[in-house]
Amino acid sequence: MENMESGSFRESKGYIVVEQAPDGSRHILYADKAACTVTRLAAEQLQGADPSGVTAELAVERVKLDSQHELWILEPSGGRQQHVAELERMNSALEAALKSAESANRAKSSFLSSMSHDIRTPMNAIVGMTSIGLSHIDEKPRVQDCLLKIRTASTHLMSLVNDVLDMSRIDSGRMKLNEEAFSLAELIHDIAVMMRPQAVQKKQELQIEIGRIYEESLIGDSLRLRQILVNIIGNAVKYTMDEGAIHVHFSQRRTEPAVQEEGGGVVWLDFVCEDNGIGMSREFLERIFIPFERVSNAVTSKIEGTGLGMAIVKNLIDQMGGRITVESREGEGSRFRVELPLLSAPQGKQPAELPAGQTVLVAESWSGRIGQIMDYLQEGGLIPVHVQSGMDAVTWLTEVQYEGCMPCAMLLGQELTDMTVLELASHVRQLAGRDFPILLVSEQDWAHIEYRAVRAGVSAFVPCPLFKSRLLGTLAGLLGSGGGEEAAAGGQDDFSRLHVLLVEDNEMNQEIAMELLSMIGVQVEVTDNGALAVEAFQASEEGHFDLIFMDVQMPVMNGYEATSNIRRLQRGDAQSVWIVAMTANAFVEDVRLSKEAGMNEHCSKPIDPERLQEILRGRLAVQERSAGKQPQPGDFGDKEAGRGSTGP
Amino acid sequence: MQPYQEEYISNLRDIAERSVQRKQEELSFEEFCWEIARNERQLERTVRRNMELLKEGLFPVLDHLYEADSEQLAELLEFAGMLMNPREELDVGLFCQIHRALLSVARFRRDRRAMIRELYWLGIGRNSMNNKLVGLESSKSEEYIHRMRLCFTEAAAYLKYFDEIEDAETRGYILRARANMALGQYKSVAERIRIIKRTLQIMQDKEYQEKAPELPWDRYIYQTHQLMAASISHSKGRTMTPQDITDIMESVHIVLDRRMRETAERGEKPPVRTAFSNCAIEYYCGLDTLDGLLTKMERLTDTVDASDYSTDGMYGTISIPAFYCQYLQENPEKIPEREGYIEELYHRIVSYVENFPGEGKESLFYYLRQLSLTFIETSNSLSYGDFIIRLQELFTPEIFVHSYVVGKAAVEFCGIIAEEQPGFFDDIGELRRLQEPEKKRTAILDYAMKCGQLHDVGKMNFISLYKTPRQWFEEEYEMAHLHTMIGAAWLEMRESTRHYAMVAMGHHCWYDGSRGYPETYRRLECPYRQMVDVIGLLDWLDNVTASSRRLYTGKERTFDLAVKEAVSLEGRRFSPILTAMLRDGEIAERLARAFAQGRQEAYLRLYREGR
Repeated sequence: MENMESGSFRESKGYIVVEQAPDGSRHILYADKAACTVTRLAAEQLQGADPSGVTAELAVERVKLDSQHELWILEPSGGRQQHVAELERMNSALEAALKSAESANRAKSSFLSSMSHDIRTPMNAIVGMTSIGLSHIDEKPRVQDCLLKIRTASTHLMSLVNDVLDMSRIDSGRMKLNEEAFSLAELIHDIAVMMRPQAVQKKQELQIEIGRIYEESLIGDSLRLRQILVNIIGNAVKYTMDEGAIHVHFSQRRTEPAVQEEGGGVVWLDFVCEDNGIGMSREFLERIFIPFERVSNAVTSKIEGTGLGMAIVKNLIDQMGGRITVESREGEGSRFRVELPLLSAPQGKQPAELPAGQTVLVAESWSGRIGQIMDYLQEGGLIPVHVQSGMDAVTWLTEVQYEGCMPCAMLLGQELTDMTVLELASHVRQLAGRDFPILLVSEQDWAHIEYRAVRAGVSAFVPCPLFKSRLLGTLAGLLGSGGGEEAAAGGQDDFSRLHVLLVEDNEMNQEIAMELLSMIGVQVEVTDNGALAVEAFQASEEGHFDLIFMDVQMPVMNGYEATSNIRRLQRGDAQSVWIVAMTANAFVEDVRLSKEAGMNEHCSKPIDPERLQEILRGRLAVQERSAGKQPQPGDFGDKEAGRGSTGP
Repeated sequence: MQPYQEEYISNLRDIAERSVQRKQEELSFEEFCWEIARNERQLERTVRRNMELLKEGLFPVLDHLYEADSEQLAELLEFAGMLMNPREELDVGLFCQIHRALLSVARFRRDRRAMIRELYWLGIGRNSMNNKLVGLESSKSEEYIHRMRLCFTEAAAYLKYFDEIEDAETRGYILRARANMALGQYKSVAERIRIIKRTLQIMQDKEYQEKAPELPWDRYIYQTHQLMAASISHSKGRTMTPQDITDIMESVHIVLDRRMRETAERGEKPPVRTAFSNCAIEYYCGLDTLDGLLTKMERLTDTVDASDYSTDGMYGTISIPAFYCQYLQENPEKIPEREGYIEELYHRIVSYVENFPGEGKESLFYYLRQLSLTFIETSNSLSYGDFIIRLQELFTPEIFVHSYVVGKAAVEFCGIIAEEQPGFFDDIGELRRLQEPEKKRTAILDYAMKCGQLHDVGKMNFISLYKTPRQWFEEEYEMAHLHTMIGAAWLEMRESTRHYAMVAMGHHCWYDGSRGYPETYRRLECPYRQMVDVIGLLDWLDNVTASSRRLYTGKERTFDLAVKEAVSLEGRRFSPILTAMLRDGEIAERLARAFAQGRQEAYLRLYREGR
């Protein structure tokens, strides 16, 4: 470095040789190129010239060569100061670089220190809770409590590690986007399912709304997109106090306003997340996207986080070609706006075909969603009739039933002015019969409400935020016009998969049950008494029967005995086949006796078609779960097992 | 009616009469105990017989109901009418069961007349069930109300086709269903008033009246006015318009005027109820202040004859003070200046109840239950807990005996626990703060006794259910579960009983949280959980061993077997710390003795009470 400096120094100086005449006058004997540059004169002009005249504005250093000659070293005017200034500039640049390096180092040290604290905290919890759990291994609730705490700590630890890995990938330029087709509806639904429990835990109001959507099938990196959205909404939940409000809005536009025309197929996804949480200071806002920065105050000191999330979000959005803006006021809340260009994917499914001109009863009192539901139904060619209360719904249905012009379905929304939607569903199922489609549009996770909703008679479920394709698709599925959603999303049940053995001695009852079961596609075989039922079961292939409806009072062998005999058989499905008692004996003791005999459920007589379907739906749900899904609280098995064994 | 139906009804009446005849003045204590045992055996026989009757007579009919002929259906209808009617309420659960089955058949056969009729009666049955849920402010009670209301709403929707429905009986059901849509609590009082106003318009519409002149329109209109008048206590609510209030006032005047005329015709003085309604109207119309109303209420209740045990006497002695306390609860700043009067009121009521003759005690209980809901504790008044225990002793001896026995057993059990682990109950702040060992021990034992005595207070809402002389149906079983939440809500309302609330709430929940009820109880979050565990275990032991309690669940075990079963449920239903103690034969024996002695003491208290 020093050499470079001295080199540059030498090049900027000019040299002239000055000769002194005997009369004392001086003239230039020789001038080098640099002297010409410095004096801005040609060599010819310099030679013989008075050196004092041409060097008047220059700094001159004189070196005596002999009695008549001197070497004048010429520097441009102020050159020294310039040099000093240059040196100073370089010094300060160096200082800044040093400071920046030190600051980066400090940030990394502080990150390492906070990381080791952040890692140690959940690790301590994991180690500690494991020890406590082990020392109380026989106390199930205690162990359960420890495991839950270990799960929370592990999840946090995992997110820490993931953030650090992501940041490291971004730093090293190894973060690549993986573009593929995805469904915006599914993505938003997944995010809602993921975020709602966290908001519920803090009693926050989390509203996720959908504005204008042009394309539901898009191309992009859905995993990274999910990461961006979860990070921002997650922060809103984290940094908003209990009972606060978070409002999330998704919409699309065809073009970017700043650019006149986008390339074909580009859709801009606008995402806004607004909260009334603790907000951020202006100073922090400037640093929000810098890695390892976190809002620090008394409130946030207990909130876990690495300070990497927003940096990752910013980097991902930049890579996707989008933008993020943040507005915030300390103590008032924050508003994040993300704009992302995404490509629309080719349509996979044909839009649902619906019977145009038919009415649908919509029972919903929440103004936030009713407009959207009505619009979607109208766009699907249907005529929605709107009521806000359960009593109005029942009155209207009774009247149209009397007049023979029932609607093609009933759609239940979030709330009613006078009762819960499931209370209404339960009555309408009785009033309108087993085939009448009842759809539930809900923000809740289906897995959590499935048990109660199915028992109440709900035929299908459409998750929120509400997308037109899902609503109309499910409706079309229920009305048998094709293009419906799969059963997992709450489509109409396919009972044709079920093989049922009906054990009933009474002919009339046999006939009714056969009719009810056959009408919904269930494959039924009938026997007249318990002994024949055991024989039929023994003769069938293993796993052939999904369900046995067993009368209790029968000649030859009663239902209890037949059930016990089936359960004692040495075959794989002897324990698993679902056996339902069908009897008018409805005392709790009877329910207990049927359970003791090995029956799974109890169905009162006279046979209620809705109850019959409810049992079948429950059986289908159990089958689906055992085919891959996790069991949910509220499974038929759990609930039923819980009854009858507790005291009064 | 079929013979089995007649016998069933006769058994129900017999049991109801037995519960009234509780005279034991001439009996010695031993004879009294023997009499209790004899009654229990008799009750058990009746229960068994009743179940036989239903299993052999009713259930086969329900089993084949779709093929039943009109005669069988009519018999069922008649039987249901005997189970519950305006004169007596013998078995509401069975009444609902039969009407639900008949409604299924009506829907199946698309028999519109039958559907309307069955919807109406099922609504009536459900209304009666709802009345048991007094004091339970939750979505659970609303669920029952909505089930009832939707039955009436569906039946009332046929009003639009009044012309096409020709028979007067069905038209009557439609109109009554329309009026009954206003029964039960509404989220919005204004909505309820809107519905009653519309009903009144329909009832007073000449066109409807001319179409069915044979219907008792005057009665319908008067009863609808009664429903409207019952909204008076809400008329200070912010949701009402001046027109709503005017409408209510008009109905109140109509109702009062008729009552005055009726009493004048009978040559009687106006009942105290009517006098109170008058005072209330003046207050609600803005003609009087709250202080003015309270003073008038004091005068009214002070003038009631202390030995008037008629309905009007009970209303004046108990109901008016209950309303008085309700007004004070809504305006607590007015309590301090009236503390002395409130205390005197309660003493007067206790003395009234103690001197009450045998007959009519059941109605007296309902008045007292109303009083218990608005009970105000003052520095020198009876504590709410003692008031409730006294009610149990006087009116629900079965609940009193069970609760007392559980309390005594809890004292014995907690005594052993406190000896071995003095800090066992230290999660309860009040106990943790006590330093002196003897004081702490005494406090633990007092707390255990009261927890036992109050854990089942919610059952007082379901006394008719607990007196049903047959096993319960599933729906009744589920309803009985609500006693935990109702009990907790009652105890939570008063400072002195607040720390017993969680015991009432959680004593049927399983230790590991996997089963039991209600779901709202979170064991690990509850500081009282150790005591909840103790009471839960002892409550279960008494329930499955006492012969009087097996009737409803069909379960009965000896004490030794029950202990073995409790131990087998260790760590799941019961706390392993407690079941570990039960494994100790000596402790189990001490507990068995405590149960037996507790029962003797409880009987002795009842015996003395009877004398």
